[in-house]
Amino acid sequence: MNRLVSLRAVCALLLFGAALLVGCGSDGRQDAADPGLRVYRHSTNGVPTSLDPVQSATAYTNMIVINVYDTLYAYKYLARPFELKTNLAAAMPEISADGLTYTVRLKPGVYFIDDPVFPDGKGREVVAEDVVYSIKRHFDPAMRPQGAWLWQGKVAGLDEWKDAGSDYEQDIEGLRALDRYTLQIKLVRPYPQLPFTLAQGYSAVVPREAVEKYGRDLALRPIGSGPFRLVSFDKTRVVMEPNQNWRWQPVDIYAEGYDEETQGFSGVAAIHGQTPPFVDRFEIDFIQDSAAMWNSFTKGNEVQITGLPVELADSVLASKRPVTLREDLAEKYHITSEIETGFVYQGINMDFPEFGYHPDPAQEKRNHALRCAMIKAFDWNARNESFYFGLGVIFPGAIPPVVPEFDPELSRDSVTRDVSGARRLLAENGWTPENLPELLYGTGSGVVYRQFFEQARAWLVEIGWPREKIILKQFATFGDLNRQWRESRLPYIGLGWGLDYPDAQNTLQLFYGPYRAPGSNLTNYNNPEYNALYEQAAVMQPSPERTEIYRRMNRILIGDCVTIIGLSRTRIPIWHREVVMHPAGGMVGGFQYPFIALSDGAGGIRQAARSAGIP
Amino acid sequence: MELLQYSIRKIIAGIPLIIGVTLISFLLMVYFGPDKTFDLLGKNPTAEEIAEVREQLGYNKPFVVRYAEYLRELVTFDFGRSESTGEPVTGLLARTIPVSAALSLPGFILGNLLGVLLGLLAAFYRGGAPDKFIMASAAVGMSISFLIVIIAFQIIFSSSFGLNLFPVRGWSMDTFGDYVRYVTVPTLAMVFVALGYNTRFYRSVIVEEMNRDHVRTARAFGVPPAQLYYKLILKNALIPIITRIMFSIPFVIISGSLLIEQYFGIPGVGKATYDAITTGDQPVLKAVVALTAILLVAAQLLTDILYRAVDPRVSLR
Repeated sequence: MNRLVSLRAVCALLLFGAALLVGCGSDGRQDAADPGLRVYRHSTNGVPTSLDPVQSATAYTNMIVINVYDTLYAYKYLARPFELKTNLAAAMPEISADGLTYTVRLKPGVYFIDDPVFPDGKGREVVAEDVVYSIKRHFDPAMRPQGAWLWQGKVAGLDEWKDAGSDYEQDIEGLRALDRYTLQIKLVRPYPQLPFTLAQGYSAVVPREAVEKYGRDLALRPIGSGPFRLVSFDKTRVVMEPNQNWRWQPVDIYAEGYDEETQGFSGVAAIHGQTPPFVDRFEIDFIQDSAAMWNSFTKGNEVQITGLPVELADSVLASKRPVTLREDLAEKYHITSEIETGFVYQGINMDFPEFGYHPDPAQEKRNHALRCAMIKAFDWNARNESFYFGLGVIFPGAIPPVVPEFDPELSRDSVTRDVSGARRLLAENGWTPENLPELLYGTGSGVVYRQFFEQARAWLVEIGWPREKIILKQFATFGDLNRQWRESRLPYIGLGWGLDYPDAQNTLQLFYGPYRAPGSNLTNYNNPEYNALYEQAAVMQPSPERTEIYRRMNRILIGDCVTIIGLSRTRIPIWHREVVMHPAGGMVGGFQYPFIALSDGAGGIRQAARSAGIP
Repeated sequence: MELLQYSIRKIIAGIPLIIGVTLISFLLMVYFGPDKTFDLLGKNPTAEEIAEVREQLGYNKPFVVRYAEYLRELVTFDFGRSESTGEPVTGLLARTIPVSAALSLPGFILGNLLGVLLGLLAAFYRGGAPDKFIMASAAVGMSISFLIVIIAFQIIFSSSFGLNLFPVRGWSMDTFGDYVRYVTVPTLAMVFVALGYNTRFYRSVIVEEMNRDHVRTARAFGVPPAQLYYKLILKNALIPIITRIMFSIPFVIISGSLLIEQYFGIPGVGKATYDAITTGDQPVLKAVVALTAILLVAAQLLTDILYRAVDPRVSLR
């Protein structure tokens, strides 16, 4: 009896404890924030590290940097293909006839956010000298910069300024503030992509006094003049609030590139003529696990946008072409699809004599055949179906569909699987299972990388490559793998590329000889004809002639069988219907989010509580 | 006085342990850890830029010099700045450790308390149905991956597919209500997993004590069960219980719970440590390793002192 009583007592205690726990937390639907505030909760699957513009190398970092700092130019919110618009600049740059001098006038009356670093704690006006200083920082090793490559060898005197010790008191011939609001950039040779670089986070404008006072703390404490100011930032979330002193103007969605046909469904037209900010708080959750992301998104009061996880496509989508949601989900969410501003590709390292360049021309010819056979073995359609919803856009060569120079007429032979053709090529060039070289397949440590390998190996086995000669080497971290690539130690490279700007030059440089590893040309391809064309096109303004040169380079690249390329993934963002927006693409240069709004449920939008004077 | 002398002796004896742990860890970091050089460089870096970054990271210095710097940092407790974020490491730890501690402590305490209770219950009914049920449940708890438990609990308690009672993500300790809201599901998951291991351990400890001669004699003399369990069994079982709990504390405080923090979006030290491991952020790793070693020495000392407190036969020599 005693034992029974004890057992009951313990059970009752346990149940009471559990009930207490659940009871205490029963308020789970309530947001901890002030319920009166308009909060937009964004989500991304990557985490930014530093918020200092000189270290804004990733799209995740740019997403914040571009919003808390000002850049001279920005991308139009809705225009596809991407177009620049003025931001801190008063107009598009005035370019001299020889294309070497750019003059940019800044908008007067733009102020940095209030901070103790300024006299009386009031943000001072942004001037042209700030832009000069911000670009100079990329040439000061003490700043640990990552963006110097954008202007290296292009702006007169900038490299020399660095070589002379990066003394900020020294003027630079090619980078000067002519007056308080006028910036002049002089180039050593034409650089038509320059305006794009002035829209990137790298060129975001920082006040010198903040850099000097906060030093490396600036990475966590941005002092900018952008549409938002930082409230908090850690590895799980960033919180921003509108910069009330920003130059908020009524939105002209037509000037922003609005297209009723493709964007009308989102209701984004409701912001036309309205003056932002439309939200009181802009939060971004960094969620790397897709299950947690989906749980948070579907909960209703947490993140309001997510990318569709591949594993949920079949259970969530009603159709893939066009992308539509199941009926019950469509009542709650918007969905769209947008091709990424980048692509995935595989490269063959030409430094390896088994696959690439060889002193013996006969062997080099055989190697060429071997590489072409590898390309023919690769099944882009299967890769697309297995990993990218079957919605990725497969294209030949290194000019992806998202840039204006894309050639839709280009032969698709290089992305069409041809097993018998691959076998024939190998046989004709004396390749047998016995003499085929070992292929070290270096990749990351996740399951998906293993799956990529298994799939690629199966294709190579199918053309006659002995299974045991295709060896997997997984690296624990991306840093380890990246180092192997950068030091040219792996014969096979599989990676993705996000565009820095919408110009094919940004992708064709991936195969430009002088940019060999440790640069971005990880295949170490070095074709003098290709290099010469690259250099010729690099100084040309956009024109049919330049496009033709790009396309010719593309054909050379395909003919040399250097890379298995490519596929641009299709992003499928889903967002709550209460959010009035059109999702921005993933350009590394980033996008501003000043126009995000919340619906009033009747086709209009709600004003931010603070802007409307609501306490 | 005896306690102070003992403490000093123990701390001095702990120094070789700290040096050993830091030396081995640093060896692994330097020779097997990720190289951060290319993470910090932009596209198309020049040889000069690569050299600059390697110099800034200290990669060009001899190992001995780098380890000596580590020891200096250990003594001054100034580990510099994170190579990833630029944040001062001490600031990062001060920000994340309280979060991880607040996250882990309820689960740790509840897991141990319930483990002792269930261990007692199982031992009391040894061989009977309750014992079999508790042990079978413990085996189930131990068999399920922590990751599966986290995902399942998140769906059951937090998501719209389940009870939808708690937040899926986030963390706040602004008010006690906020804290309870955010900590409940992680705590339930931690307790669920820990309970299996704890219950089995505590049951075996208690059963061992129950088989001792003095317990059997007391029982023969008709000592009531409550008195028997509290005074004779539980008190004597405290030594292994204290050992288990004390040596877990450094990991509760420092390591946090990576999976929990990752899935629930909690900015704790577990995630910071994991990020540091995967990105080769040596200043953060050095600090975490050093702090863990120091806390282990402290835990060892406290354990010995607690032994003395619960068992007067133990002498501090």
